[in-house]
Amino acid sequence: MNAAMMLLVISFAAPLLVLVAGTINARLVPHVAVLATALAAVVVGWSFWQPDAAIRWTWAEVYGLHFELRLDGLARLYALLAIGIGFLVVAYASRYMELHLHHGDRPASDHIRFFFFLLLFMAAMVGLVMAQDLILIFVFWDLTAIASFFLIGFDQHEEDSRSSAMMALVVTGVTAVLVLVGAMLLHHDYGTWSLPAIIEQGGIQDSAPWALLLIAIGALAKSAQVPLHFWLPRAMAAPTPVSAYLHSAAMVAAGVFLIGRFYPLMQQVDWLLDVFLVIGFASMLVGGILALTRNVLKQVLAYSTISQYGYVVFMFGMGGDYGIKGASFYVLAHAIVKSALFLTAGAVTEATGKKTLADIGGLRQTMPMLALGSGMAAAGLVALPLTIGFFKDELFFARAAQLGAPYMVMAVAGAALTFAYIFRFWTHIFLGREISPSQPISTWLVWPVVVLGLLTVLGGIWPAPFTHIAEAAASVSTNSPQKLHVEYVIAPIVENLMAISTWVFGFGIYWTRRRWWRVALGIAHLGEQLGPAHWYYRGLNGLNHLSDSIHSFEVRDLRSRVASILLPAGILVGLAVLVTPNANSFEIGPIQQSDFTLVIMLIAAVVSGLVVMTLRDHLRLAIGLSSVGYSLAGVYAFMSAPNVTLVAIVVETILSMFLIGMMVLMPRTILRFETEADSDRRSISRDAVIATVAGLLVFFVSWGALSRTSWNTEIIDSQTVLTPAVHGKNIVTVILADFRGFDTMGEITVITITLIGIISLLRSGRLR
Amino acid sequence: MTLVFSLAIAALFAVGAFLMLRRDLIRLIAGMIMIGNAANLFIMASALRRGRAAVLPGNGDEMADPLVQALVLTAIVISFATAAMALVIVYRVYTSHYSMDLTELSAAEEEQSERDEPESGDLVEQDIEEDIEEMPDDAKVGVLA
Repeated sequence: MNAAMMLLVISFAAPLLVLVAGTINARLVPHVAVLATALAAVVVGWSFWQPDAAIRWTWAEVYGLHFELRLDGLARLYALLAIGIGFLVVAYASRYMELHLHHGDRPASDHIRFFFFLLLFMAAMVGLVMAQDLILIFVFWDLTAIASFFLIGFDQHEEDSRSSAMMALVVTGVTAVLVLVGAMLLHHDYGTWSLPAIIEQGGIQDSAPWALLLIAIGALAKSAQVPLHFWLPRAMAAPTPVSAYLHSAAMVAAGVFLIGRFYPLMQQVDWLLDVFLVIGFASMLVGGILALTRNVLKQVLAYSTISQYGYVVFMFGMGGDYGIKGASFYVLAHAIVKSALFLTAGAVTEATGKKTLADIGGLRQTMPMLALGSGMAAAGLVALPLTIGFFKDELFFARAAQLGAPYMVMAVAGAALTFAYIFRFWTHIFLGREISPSQPISTWLVWPVVVLGLLTVLGGIWPAPFTHIAEAAASVSTNSPQKLHVEYVIAPIVENLMAISTWVFGFGIYWTRRRWWRVALGIAHLGEQLGPAHWYYRGLNGLNHLSDSIHSFEVRDLRSRVASILLPAGILVGLAVLVTPNANSFEIGPIQQSDFTLVIMLIAAVVSGLVVMTLRDHLRLAIGLSSVGYSLAGVYAFMSAPNVTLVAIVVETILSMFLIGMMVLMPRTILRFETEADSDRRSISRDAVIATVAGLLVFFVSWGALSRTSWNTEIIDSQTVLTPAVHGKNIVTVILADFRGFDTMGEITVITITLIGIISLLRSGRLR
Repeated sequence: MTLVFSLAIAALFAVGAFLMLRRDLIRLIAGMIMIGNAANLFIMASALRRGRAAVLPGNGDEMADPLVQALVLTAIVISFATAAMALVIVYRVYTSHYSMDLTELSAAEEEQSERDEPESGDLVEQDIEEDIEEMPDDAKVGVLA
């Protein structure tokens, strides 16, 4: 069993173990979850000493699909984030969820749901980062969206939770479809579903840039980039461990992971990189400015995440060796520090019961360990020396400096905003005077933060292990071996100058906050009024109204129901016929001289059908109907089907008699009244249009189908051979009575039941 | 012949669709029968080969596809059964409402559902044929114009 297999098995076994433990006792669930993720963390650590490993199973060979996974450098980086941070978050959640459920008076069995979906999410991430097959990538991609829906909406009794979960699902789920479309286009261009094979073929083919753009939109939506960022702050309705995990290390990271996975192709499309630059910078600014104005702890961090992933997207846009290595390193560093800050927010809220910066302060005395741990993490995020964060910004600045002054200005602006809001966040919580009293909290809510804080400092002192991970990931993203080495250079080089100016500007922004406070709030307010979230709600409402009005039309009466099936079906099929390439798929078919009689009978059937439409009274209607039926019986006769002809004539005769018999039972006045009620000109032309559309639909469908009948006549031959064996001569009757005897039995049963029904309905007389 | 068959099938279907959209219940059933005819013709036209009647012993000529004929036989009989059943139900509708006009019938239905439970319009969503059987007598007076 190789490393890829081990990882896949252990991560998908974990949610199942939780379910099993849940059936025994719900209180066991957190412990089982911690153990399972600890085991997975050991495996992922062990995998770093293993060579690249692959799994390749045949999946759906007809379509060229393979269950193809590969543990490469990029997969290792994101699997480490998903499982490593996942382990710490699960450890934290094992205590936090107990309190959370206790506060809400909820049963312990809710643990099962929470940990099942959390671990399912982890498993989906592990599958996603290793997947190499385009469809497999989509499957895991969607699985993360589904798991996150249940996690964000975990507090399902709250309306806010539910609508936030729905918003996250709509934004990431709809864009996931774009990823699928992109995958289809790539398959169409390159003829394979395997991403490594596509990259090996090299070059960018006709529709590939558009395919990559679609995939990039999916990725950017998942990474909460402007203008599809609005779901992330709303998703903070989830319990804190979910925010810490999904919105720092996993779900949003999946977006930039996807860019990293497709980067060997994307880097060949220049305008796509420009798109990354624009969106990355916009996210940096929007996220940064809004983070400054927020008061709720988790909201500050949510906007911070938008801004930080804006950095990563910006770096992908800048490209170059430094850009890509920097992006990989940035994701790693950011996941560590941001999850620590989220966990801090959760612990602080748990201790004080308050959620906003204004209500919290001076916690350094009561919670020194938490202050220390989160202080290290905050220092990492604002890129102070001796933390891993310093190097993440160094690489960012190094690439910007290579590209010139405008990029340097943008980089410093983004980083200075980060400094300002994180400084505000940490100092407001831990410094100053105590505002609300705090209770002591479980050490399980503190030590994960401290571990992450120590990791931040460790990365600042000994960056080699982290750079190895990042360079292996960057090698996959650029499809060429990369080396990454960082060290402190104590000299006035341009990166250091940019870092210093960042701190100065950042502190300046914080210090002068009273001056621009109103402006920033105004921008935030404007964004709420005119921003994408507003259009999301408008769009959703519009769709709702549309669906309501279609529904109310559809259920109005039987006719509108018929129309609302026929019309859209006709239009959709018509569009499909227009759009799909269909050369040679319609054939006229040979007409022999002997077909002459057949054509005559068909014309007779059609003409009598058209006449039936125009008839106004019911007796002629009945006669017209039967003349259609008899003409068709003639058609069957000339198609050498004597059995069918006989049955058709008998049935048609009975039906005509039945129809006429019905008319005898009804008074003339009613029948005449009905015919006149229908002769409204407008309704006739409307119905004629609908009928024409439906007829065209059937024409194309049946023509297409009849042009492509099977050439395999084995069944006919075998039935011909078998017929003497059952002592029959007429193959059709033998099929009915013998080969498909059960069918005929069922048919006879239906006829009998109908007969009983008809008799009882006719006999029971008038109701009044 | 493929094209000729498809044209005929489409024409029969379009006539059936037109009849189904009428207000008159009998025409609705005529539409059902017509669409059934179109379907039967489609099955027959999808025969893999044409030739003499599928009766043994053969004289060496190619035989028509017997399978589609068997399928059409079943289809004809079943569509006849549904048409007959529908006709009888229409007759029952007439005996209880003295009308075969869909517009009038749905108006009556709405009136009835308003009388039963003023808040709910759910009854409108059910099939007319099913509902009318269960209507209490007093509701039907209003229909008789």
